[in-house]
Amino acid sequence: MRKRIIYILLIIAPLLCVFATLFVGRYPLSLPLVIKTLWSQIALVNYNIPDMYQTLVWDIRMPRAILGAMVGGCLAVSGAAFQGLFRNPLVSSGILGVSSGAGFGAALAIILFQGNTSAVYIFAFVFALLAVLLSYLIGRVYNTTPTITLVLGGVVVSSIFSALISFAKYVADPYQQLPTIVFWLMGSLATARYHDILVAGIPMGIGVAGLIAIRWRINVLSMGDREAHSLGINLAVDKGIVIICASLATAGAVCVSGIIGWVGLVIPHICRMIVGNDNRVLIPASLSVGACFLVLVDNVGRIITGSEMPLGILTALIGGPFFVWLLKKTKGGGW
Amino acid sequence: MSILEVANASFNYERHSEKIFEDINFTVGKGEIFCLLGPNGCGKSTLLDSILGINHLNEGGIRIMGKDTRTLKAGQIARYIAYVPQSHERTFPYRVIDIVKMGRAVYTGRFSSPSAEDKEIAKEALDLVGLRHLRHRPYTQLSGGEGQLVMIARALAQKTPVIVMDEPTAHLDFKHEMVVMETIVRLVKTANLTVVMATHFPNHTFYLENNGIKTTVALMYKKHFLEVGSPTQVLNEHNMRTLYNVNTKLMTCPLDISTELKQLVPVSTLNGLNEEERNADV
Repeated sequence: MRKRIIYILLIIAPLLCVFATLFVGRYPLSLPLVIKTLWSQIALVNYNIPDMYQTLVWDIRMPRAILGAMVGGCLAVSGAAFQGLFRNPLVSSGILGVSSGAGFGAALAIILFQGNTSAVYIFAFVFALLAVLLSYLIGRVYNTTPTITLVLGGVVVSSIFSALISFAKYVADPYQQLPTIVFWLMGSLATARYHDILVAGIPMGIGVAGLIAIRWRINVLSMGDREAHSLGINLAVDKGIVIICASLATAGAVCVSGIIGWVGLVIPHICRMIVGNDNRVLIPASLSVGACFLVLVDNVGRIITGSEMPLGILTALIGGPFFVWLLKKTKGGGW
Repeated sequence: MSILEVANASFNYERHSEKIFEDINFTVGKGEIFCLLGPNGCGKSTLLDSILGINHLNEGGIRIMGKDTRTLKAGQIARYIAYVPQSHERTFPYRVIDIVKMGRAVYTGRFSSPSAEDKEIAKEALDLVGLRHLRHRPYTQLSGGEGQLVMIARALAQKTPVIVMDEPTAHLDFKHEMVVMETIVRLVKTANLTVVMATHFPNHTFYLENNGIKTTVALMYKKHFLEVGSPTQVLNEHNMRTLYNVNTKLMTCPLDISTELKQLVPVSTLNGLNEEERNADV
């Protein structure tokens, strides 16, 4: 019974957060107005709502909230999966170099194609996956993939791509391209359109679905290679599935939102405190809490400043104190 | 009838590198315990890894219930052999019952979770080691001895005829060392399990023998088996000196009318260090 209530809450909470987003911003909207605007599109009824509200609710706030929920959920869920796989609570969704790879891809596209949005998405996505592939190949010394060499591979690849990002910044035009690169690296949902959601939603959807399906196996994998093997697990296949799914989800998220730190590391921990460490519950909980968190943080950002505050700054500024409060409240929840 | 059969086994990690062990031969029958005894670094754990299918032999073969392990995948070997690790690094505070349920992984599909039946099996396994009352506790909060019993329960939940244990009493306190040994005896007797274990305590093999379990000891020395036989046959002062460079006294005293308690008591080391350590110093 308690389990069912938790699952229902986990499904409803992100929907509520997305709904709440429709009201807030520089032009606050009232409840009846928002509902009328929504209904007029769904049921194709004409309530004589000004076009501005239509645009505001349907074309600006809605896609942004949905994308925020998807990105937050993906980052948190891949972080939780990687923490289990690498048996390391300090690992985040960027451990195999996804973020740095995406960052370099985006910077390259900004320089080569003058910031053409599609080019940025594609380059970020491709380089994110390329970085993971490189980490994996470096990790494959001795034809196996021991956890520690995979992590080292990720560290090496991340630092190489970070250096390349710096190089890209160095050669970029300082008045046009450099600011674009810097802002991209700080993360934002401001450019969200339905089209982006549909395209980036494919890898995100595949990745999240895969991780949810294999979530109990992550428990077994977190026992370490020797034990997982003797428990009857095909390590190569199961690790491969987790890595591919988590990377697809993260790459899909990062390529549209830029680099948003913190979510992929700390949201899983917040969930560990609330629902425990069993990945059967932890994975769905991370998805839901990550989604809520990013949508709410983005809303705060839109309320407190007229201009766009980069998300990467706010996630840590808001998440940090919240994490400390929760740590005190739950006394670490078994940690 | 032999359950596990190791024939002419030899292993080295890389081509042309030094052999870790060679010419290893033994068989273990149902309800028997096979103990590997030998100094650190003699290849005990590597041999256990080969039985578990983690390492692949360069020569020879291992048959489990008549099947060649080379032709078996991890998921098939895990239906015959379960594993109790020497030291388990506890990373995430899973609940005890969730740890034991992982023993059911081999019967659970890749994209599914253990069923209600698996949960019952896990609870029964916890009953067998006497830890059912701790099942909702985070296993990171258990003592070393309790943690080891949880690992044994997980192996039992795997429902295999053979359990491989790597120094199951390492790092345990005086009482829990005994608790684990008693549990092993009880399981072998009641469930007719077969156990292959590496140990550093010669006296444990006497303990198993005294409890009426057919126990075979293999003394592993310089990549080979020095001697294989019952504890009474092979554990003597001479072999201890060869194996460990330790002078010992074999003591016996009557435990009750029918059984005699045997103990090897270490007296002194030979020349302070053993041969390998002397070489390492040079």
